[in-house]
Amino acid sequence: MPNFITHQDWLAITPLLIAGGGALIVLLVDLLWPKHSPRAVSLAIGIGVLLAAGAFAATTYGRSYNAFNGGFMLGGFAVVFQEIIVLSAILSLSLFGTFGRDDRMAGITALLLWSTTGAMLMAGAANLMTIFLGLELLSLALYCLCGVADRAASQESALKYLILSSTASGFLLFGMALLFGATGSVTLASLMLPGLAANPLYWMGGGFFLVGIAFKLSLMPFHVWSPDVYEGAPLPVTAFMSVVTKAGTLAVFARFAYALPAGGKLLLPFFVIAGVSMIGGNLAMLAQTDLKRLLAYSGVAQAGYMVAALAGASALGMRYAIYYLAAYMFMNLGAFAIVAVLSGEREEGAQIAAFRGLGQRRPWLAAAMSFFLLALAGFPPTAGFLGKILILAATVNAGYAWLAALLIAGTAISLYAYFKVLRLMYDPHDQPAPGPRTSAPLAYAGAALCAAFVIIMTFYPLTPSNVLPLVK
Amino acid sequence: MGVAGSYPLLFAIWLVPLAGAIVNWAFGPQLKRAAGIVGCVAIGLPFVATLAAWGIATQSSGAAVGANQHLLSWMPGFDFGLLLDPLSLIWALIITGVGFLIHVYSVGYMWPDTAIARFFAYMNFFVFAMLTLVLSDNFVGLLVGWGLVGLASYFLIGFWFFKPTAVAAARKAFVINVVGDVAIMFAIFMIFAKVGSTSFVTVFAHVPALGNWLFLVCLFLFIGAAAKSAQIPLHTWLPDAMEGPTPVSALIHAATMVTAGVYLVARCWPLWNASHDAQVLVGTIGGLTALGGALLGVAQWDIKRILAYSTMSQIGYMIMGVGVTAYQAGVAHFFTHAFFKACLFLGAGIVIHELADEQDIRRMGGMRLRAPVAFFAMFAAVLAISGFPGFAGFFSKDAVVFGALEHGFPWLYVLGIVTAGITAYYMFRLFFVTFFGTYRGDLDPAQVGVTNPVEPAAHEPAHGEAHAPAWLMAAPVAILGVFSVIAGYVMIGSNSPWNRLFTQTFPSQNLAVPALSEGWTTAILFIVMAAGIAIAYVRYATPAALADAPARLRAESQRMPAVLVRLFYFDDVIDWLFVRPSQALGRFFGSIFDPDVIDGAVRGVVRVNTELGEVVRGMQTGLLRSYALVIVFGAALFAVYYALQGVAH
Repeated sequence: MPNFITHQDWLAITPLLIAGGGALIVLLVDLLWPKHSPRAVSLAIGIGVLLAAGAFAATTYGRSYNAFNGGFMLGGFAVVFQEIIVLSAILSLSLFGTFGRDDRMAGITALLLWSTTGAMLMAGAANLMTIFLGLELLSLALYCLCGVADRAASQESALKYLILSSTASGFLLFGMALLFGATGSVTLASLMLPGLAANPLYWMGGGFFLVGIAFKLSLMPFHVWSPDVYEGAPLPVTAFMSVVTKAGTLAVFARFAYALPAGGKLLLPFFVIAGVSMIGGNLAMLAQTDLKRLLAYSGVAQAGYMVAALAGASALGMRYAIYYLAAYMFMNLGAFAIVAVLSGEREEGAQIAAFRGLGQRRPWLAAAMSFFLLALAGFPPTAGFLGKILILAATVNAGYAWLAALLIAGTAISLYAYFKVLRLMYDPHDQPAPGPRTSAPLAYAGAALCAAFVIIMTFYPLTPSNVLPLVK
Repeated sequence: MGVAGSYPLLFAIWLVPLAGAIVNWAFGPQLKRAAGIVGCVAIGLPFVATLAAWGIATQSSGAAVGANQHLLSWMPGFDFGLLLDPLSLIWALIITGVGFLIHVYSVGYMWPDTAIARFFAYMNFFVFAMLTLVLSDNFVGLLVGWGLVGLASYFLIGFWFFKPTAVAAARKAFVINVVGDVAIMFAIFMIFAKVGSTSFVTVFAHVPALGNWLFLVCLFLFIGAAAKSAQIPLHTWLPDAMEGPTPVSALIHAATMVTAGVYLVARCWPLWNASHDAQVLVGTIGGLTALGGALLGVAQWDIKRILAYSTMSQIGYMIMGVGVTAYQAGVAHFFTHAFFKACLFLGAGIVIHELADEQDIRRMGGMRLRAPVAFFAMFAAVLAISGFPGFAGFFSKDAVVFGALEHGFPWLYVLGIVTAGITAYYMFRLFFVTFFGTYRGDLDPAQVGVTNPVEPAAHEPAHGEAHAPAWLMAAPVAILGVFSVIAGYVMIGSNSPWNRLFTQTFPSQNLAVPALSEGWTTAILFIVMAAGIAIAYVRYATPAALADAPARLRAESQRMPAVLVRLFYFDDVIDWLFVRPSQALGRFFGSIFDPDVIDGAVRGVVRVNTELGEVVRGMQTGLLRSYALVIVFGAALFAVYYALQGVAH
């Protein structure tokens, strides 16, 4: 068994090294700058580093390589997820125009880069160790990020996230240990060994592993942390968390699910809670008064949709899940960008009441917000609509018609919740609530980019075809 | 180079009219009458480009003709592109060529109208939509064009929106056309389900894949074609559509849009070739429409309505031609018809203009002196539509009628011959009553049998301003008159430009030699036509008849058979079958079902949802320990399931 690390291995993780090392550069510049490095410098370095990492990752698209003895699998799948993660990180950074204290900006940027590194590692992780490493790298940085705002709610959210997430990690680690006991190996490929089904350890291990994954994907009933944490965390961090955590974890789940021989029985409870999330998440949206909480519950349901696409582990389902993830990134971050534009340091804009009469005060912003909400609800001609159609096709083809039915029911419920916000924005009887006018050019640019992609993706539905196999 | 493989100007042909529409729409108030120039240029440029393509295409005998420009790919099976093959070339040529002449004419016709920019914006938009329809290389693009021409037609029929009759006619046309649109959509669904593609090339290469759905696909495609081409029983909108300005009637409801059904069947010839049932269906409907339209044309007095029914009848010929798989003949009749029918409409427009919007031919008479250009041009066109030897319609009508016999449909052959006689009769009736004798407009309307005279000039605004130069309207009519004579000459001989163009488009068929030769057919047709003209002459144009015209017209009006006056009761049947039940249904839904059942259910759902939302939110206490408990509880449920599974295996 070759135990040494080759040149190829280093090449495979170069994007990660760029992102992680870039964080150090941000900190170093901050250190060397008289007093503190300005906000713009930290953000510029951060975005530049991410662009470099993304560009390098793109050059490896089309290659397939098992780095670190199969611990990190480089291939179409990993690259696509890494690109989505990097792009979300860039868009999230662009929202930092007005949030957070200037003197903390370097630290925030560095933490966000490390968190991104963790998610990128998850995208390629192909054994239990690297999965856990990536997950913890992602999470540890996020705990800190949740608490960077000078608000009690922010610190509370950080603490809640830390404790609950640790609980989930405990389940995950326990499940991994049992799986190791069943297979005698840490690689996901060993799950394909015959005769595993006779081993109770395999079942229990798989079950606890999935509990940990469900927590990170915030599927019901393991979602309880997300509304509180989303609400308390600084808005750009919430935006980052809502997409990047899901992207990384979805990659891990996909690799796990596609490694199982027949999938079926081991994954069934997971698809059940995905269905529960579609209904429950959308129902819970109805009662929200805070837009970040609303988007948290929306995220619960949307994660359910993405998982549903993977039901049956079909090649088409994988492509459609990736399509929907990319669409979700643009729709969701677009909505966050609008909230960011409307918000000051105290995040008043996140209150749904703050949108009252927005259609008269800021018609363009209101139109953009309506567009993103309609996209999230799945209206044509947006990527959200096409994505849902594709997922429906995939689930029905895979024989999970009940998931498709739940998806349709959940969508119907969600319409009401999204339209509540729309109605508020365009209610002519309501006096416009006075709102702050912040200047956040980066956030505007981010929102415009998201809107453009939500439209473009509808007409050029790029669903990468060379993402399989996920495990070798 | 050329039109083999690629034709760079194809995009210009397609998009310049759209640009014209946008300019006219956006800068209408600034352009004023210059809108007409913009409108004409936006059609003239594509015409030149199309003409060049025609020149190239007819030169390359036997060579592959056709340019295909890819536009964009959507999902697998949805590739959009433009296709210029002989079939779409002919249509594009007529749309831009005749369209250009009609645009020029419109400048004169619409001169006094204050909304001239809006008019030309719609007209240019229509041409763009029609080009989308014929230039698409796939069914979806065709359907998009199909829908857009319906929309443009709706705008233009209702152009004088202050006339309630115009608005009602526009609505009727739109509704019936949407029936057709939906039918085509169903056909596309079926095609995609079986073949997995919407592009013409792929679908026509896999006709057997349609299996026993083939006839259904043809049926639904033809419902769309029938709605657009005013075939029985979906024809009732066309005569009403004459409420639009006369150039609109000429362009949309005579020369181009209403022939889209012919285009669709000709385009889908591989489907029709494979389904004999579809041939019988389409051929029969076409033949019946030809006869029915001609019969109804006999009973009309409104000059535009006579022309509308004759349009319906002539399209019936074309549909019959393509239906019996005599595709080249059907397309040829479209080609010649476009010239002589546009000529007839525009000539009628000159007469109507001259008489300050009078449209009833009983109140005309003697117009050969007041509108000489219209007289000579329309004389040529009337001879052409009657199929007089040497005139354009002769070549194509002959081919259609003989084609029916040749392809084994003798009863359609008989229908075609009978219709030809009636056509000659009512067209010459129109011609004699309008242009011969003395002017009857200053007589008391009741004296010539008009019971409910329309007060002229009541519906068109702002007339009486300075008139446009007369040549603006006369020149296009004269040119079309010339083409009504010569358009058929491109089809003479086996090595004619027409044959060179179509030699590879449609399949050559091995047909049994029919009982009657083509020469006999021509002779029979000529005799029948001559009889029709003779009857019209005896009834309307002998010196005695001319002297006694008012009394004779009054008597004819009173004795007209009710079945023809009420248009075979089609409108009444449709009213009873569809309109009244729909209205009753609408009342039921509006007053009972909607407020109580639907709204009640919606309110119930909202209430239940909100309450459930509160329940879910109730789990959100903000307390860490309760959250942890929820997670552990969920994990416990998982553990139970997996423990059971582990034991079970």
